[in-house]
Amino acid sequence: MPTLRVDGVRVTVPAGATVLAAARAAGAEIPTLCHHEGLEPWGGCRLCLVEISKPGWTGEGKIVTSCNYPAEDGLVVRTSGERVVATRRVVVDLLLARCPGTPLVQRLAREHGIEEASYEVNPEPTDCVLCGLCTRACDRMGVSAIASVSRGASRAIAPPFNQPPPDCIGCLACAEVCPTGHIAWSEADGRRTIWGRVFEMQRCEGCGRPHLTAAQAGWARARGAAEQDLRLCDACKREQLARTLRAVSRGETVAAQAAAS
Amino acid sequence: MAIVLRVVTERCNGCGNCEMACAFVHAQGTRPAQPRIQVLGRHASPGPGTPVLCLQCDEPACLEVCPSQALSRDETTGAIRLNEARCIRCRSCVAACPFGNVAWDAARHVVVKCDLCGGDPQCARFCPTGALLSSRTGILTCP
Ligand code: SF4
Ligand code: FES
Repeated sequence: MPTLRVDGVRVTVPAGATVLAAARAAGAEIPTLCHHEGLEPWGGCRLCLVEISKPGWTGEGKIVTSCNYPAEDGLVVRTSGERVVATRRVVVDLLLARCPGTPLVQRLAREHGIEEASYEVNPEPTDCVLCGLCTRACDRMGVSAIASVSRGASRAIAPPFNQPPPDCIGCLACAEVCPTGHIAWSEADGRRTIWGRVFEMQRCEGCGRPHLTAAQAGWARARGAAEQDLRLCDACKREQLARTLRAVSRGETVAAQAAAS
Repeated sequence: MAIVLRVVTERCNGCGNCEMACAFVHAQGTRPAQPRIQVLGRHASPGPGTPVLCLQCDEPACLEVCPSQALSRDETTGAIRLNEARCIRCRSCVAACPFGNVAWDAARHVVVKCDLCGGDPQCARFCPTGALLSSRTGILTCP
């Protein structure tokens, strides 16, 4: 278990932890944008920059992204030194130039003392901060329907060839993890639309409410979910459980599986 | 030893104290949470009801399908616990639970499920009729 010093505080973390986790455990506040505990660390937004050094290092410390830097024994971490703050400020400044109208970015800018972007403002403002949370969530699903396309200023997240993504299952995880609400989707008349693709929803066999896409049901089945458990929505499954419990309390013998189908 | 939470359906008078206790104990700030326990089958309120809540299955379907290891067994209480920070909100767990006891809170955009209150289920504590009984020993006699 490595022991580090973060802003003067000694902290011991489990092996394999990141500098970000160690710093947070030590009570430091580090802004992050692309970090998510359930996803692979990426180090893309560069907001989580810290300065590290080790005993024996000479000269200046190294500026690294804390979210994907391993917490090594003996590391000395500074989370708010002058260099860190200045570098982080540039990152936020650039982000504000890209997304001038995005509330989350505006808030970050304010927190970093930036009123206006010092760089040329994006002529086509977007709410996408390119944090890659959506693509990594999709990868985590094992679906990988969307990806980062192009480079430089025109970089964006999109399905292949900007066409409705054939692999998408319509689970909405991408839209849910997006920190700015940039990923639009809609649901009406038993259809769900996202990334330009229209999904026919599966209706609950109890109440008729459209509750998941057929592709989602297929995904869940492939991962061991039982067909019968996907036929009803959660509310109707609870009703079914209540009926089973009442039958049991009346002394009836109920096979749980039989009751569930 | 895991916590055992027993439901004695015929004792429920439908008062809804359990839902209330749950909503308050899981509240974020001042807003009560979506309760993890629900009293169903109340035709009149109050009136006899059936409390339903997570059964903390031995082989949990929710945990099986979760792609993100956001659900895990709490070794001390035996509860299947959700780590919100790991959850990617795919709601596969909601779809997979055979009993409907993993739900989606559309207001807070989080999955909600019973966590046995970390070992002291407040629903049982506030149940006036003994329809909900919790035990630390795993041995539960009906008082
Ligand atoms: S919604 Fe969250 S907890 Fe449920 S299966 Fe998806 S990642 Fe896991
Ligand atoms: S949070 Fe570390 S680079 Fe984005």
